[in-house]
Amino acid sequence: MSEGSPHLVVRGVSKRYGPTTVLDHIDLTIRRGELVTLLGPSGCGKTTLLRAIAGLAQPDTGKVELAGRDITNVPPHKRNVGVVFQSYALFPHLTVAGNVAFGLKVRGMARREIDIAVDRALSLVKLGHLASRRISALSGGQQQRVALARAIAVEPDVLLFDEALSALDRKLREEMQVELRRLLQDVKATAIFVTHDQDEALTMSDRVAVMNKGRIEQLAEPRELYLRPASLFALNFVGLSTRISGTVLAADNGKVDVETKVGRLSALGNFQAGSPVIVAARPEQLRLGEQGESNSAAGRVRSVVFQGSRTLVEVDAGAGESLLAELSGRDGAIPRVHDEIRLSWPVTETFAFPMEAQA
Amino acid sequence: MTEATLPAPVAAPAVDRERLTAIGFVLPSFLIIAGVFALPLVLLLGVSYVDANGLSFANYKRLLGTPYYLWVIWNSLRLGLLTTLIAFLISYPAAFALARARGPLRSLLLATLFLPLAASVIVKAFAWTILLRSDGIVNETLIALGIIEDPIRMIFTETALIVGAVNIFLPFMILPIYAIVAQLDPRYAEAAATLGASPVVTFFRVILPLTLPGIIAGVALVFSLSVSAYVVPTLLIGEKYPTLATTIAKAYLLAREPGFGAAAGVVLLAIAIAVVALSARLSREPK
Repeated sequence: MSEGSPHLVVRGVSKRYGPTTVLDHIDLTIRRGELVTLLGPSGCGKTTLLRAIAGLAQPDTGKVELAGRDITNVPPHKRNVGVVFQSYALFPHLTVAGNVAFGLKVRGMARREIDIAVDRALSLVKLGHLASRRISALSGGQQQRVALARAIAVEPDVLLFDEALSALDRKLREEMQVELRRLLQDVKATAIFVTHDQDEALTMSDRVAVMNKGRIEQLAEPRELYLRPASLFALNFVGLSTRISGTVLAADNGKVDVETKVGRLSALGNFQAGSPVIVAARPEQLRLGEQGESNSAAGRVRSVVFQGSRTLVEVDAGAGESLLAELSGRDGAIPRVHDEIRLSWPVTETFAFPMEAQA
Repeated sequence: MTEATLPAPVAAPAVDRERLTAIGFVLPSFLIIAGVFALPLVLLLGVSYVDANGLSFANYKRLLGTPYYLWVIWNSLRLGLLTTLIAFLISYPAAFALARARGPLRSLLLATLFLPLAASVIVKAFAWTILLRSDGIVNETLIALGIIEDPIRMIFTETALIVGAVNIFLPFMILPIYAIVAQLDPRYAEAAATLGASPVVTFFRVILPLTLPGIIAGVALVFSLSVSAYVVPTLLIGEKYPTLATTIAKAYLLAREPGFGAAAGVVLLAIAIAVVALSARLSREPK
């Protein structure tokens, strides 16, 4: 199968638990070798979708195809998927090597081949020296690597990670994100990560699916997701933003003029006049002072948070609205709390979203 | 140099006092255990070498060299092994059912396990004699249903003995297995499945090994209880099925042969210790 062709296809998958719709007609196509993250808050259905792909949860409707095979009704042990669980679920009665060999043994592989495959998998995760250790003698980071080696050893058609890094401490997690991504690209694995951590999603994936209430709100590359969020939810969930509510005054060819409590603003979007909308912009687009042909608003500085390479400035624009600007030190003077300032930002980086989508 | 050596004489008594305090705390419980458990065992062992002619191995020779007493030992072992095996076969699935049950059902099931423990073994054994006798409820029901015409002889058979023993000792098998099963992370089975293991393979390679500690605890408990049971065989089968326990009682109460009773007690103890030691060995974590 060539690179770029559909490898994993989820088509119209729904799942209900009692009165709750956990998955609402999910469609998702993943190419061979692609790393995709399902990103969303707890209860958005991302783990259920992962379990449906693994065969651990049976969808009520829809189909799942993997490597050209319809696996909708195939039990998990015949799907050839690899899962790394949040709790790792390493078998405590087996050694490190015994855990990695488990999937190969139950496949009836010859002993010598198993030894070779286990060595290879353990050296990939740099744990060859711990092969004969018991699981309880390993650190959290080492257990994470064993779980990964165990899943990779069977050469699955797709690797599924269920919040697999969330049990590690922050520093180790950030190191593992980079290392894991490199490793998965080296072995040309197709992988799906489930996480609620936006940094992990942006670091690890070729594409990110933002999930909310059982639906995929947006499926896009990390950069596009950040720069062109498709919904208010996607905007809120990934990165920071300034958000101001208002009413559309006039619409013209993908651009709208919006009357807000902080003045008239222009934004990208298609709405009818009179529609209630939220106008939003990323904080790094906001600059000190007035610029021609751009949106602007004034207010009093409420807080200044220094974060190293950048400084976050929150401005009270009156009428309950606030502005969030991310200023770099090179922009000259950083305002101080209680200063009266004016901020401006380009119309082409201003989005409008329908008001009712705000949950 | 002098400064370095100075603290030593001060520190030494402090350490001693600490150790003395520790000994002071441990000593009472040590004495109780020694006096109540260890000393009687030593006495039992000593008495077992005493017969009418003084010190000798005669009691053991009689016990291990007479076909009748070998049969008695076999009866005890058979009672222990059969009870343990059948109790295990019932308890293992029961423990999973108990662990799966939720809310009031689980409380109800646990209560049905715990409540019988509050009743005396004698009461429960008598209850079985009433249930199983010729005009008992089991025979009456079978006759009423037309399954049999004449009452089956059930009381004072080995079947009655094993049924009663299994019933009475069952909680001691279910509870330790249940304690392990309830803690078992369902992710283990899921991980095994995604690695390609069928449900049967998952059971034998993952579930069974992980629940082994509970099985071993239950087996050790039920075996040592049933191999040494006295009331159950006495009431449910009687004279024709002598066990080590009934032999010990007879030696002390009727024959007035404390040496012989002690020797039988030592043999019974040796059997129980062998089983418990074997279980402890099996349940040790693999290196």
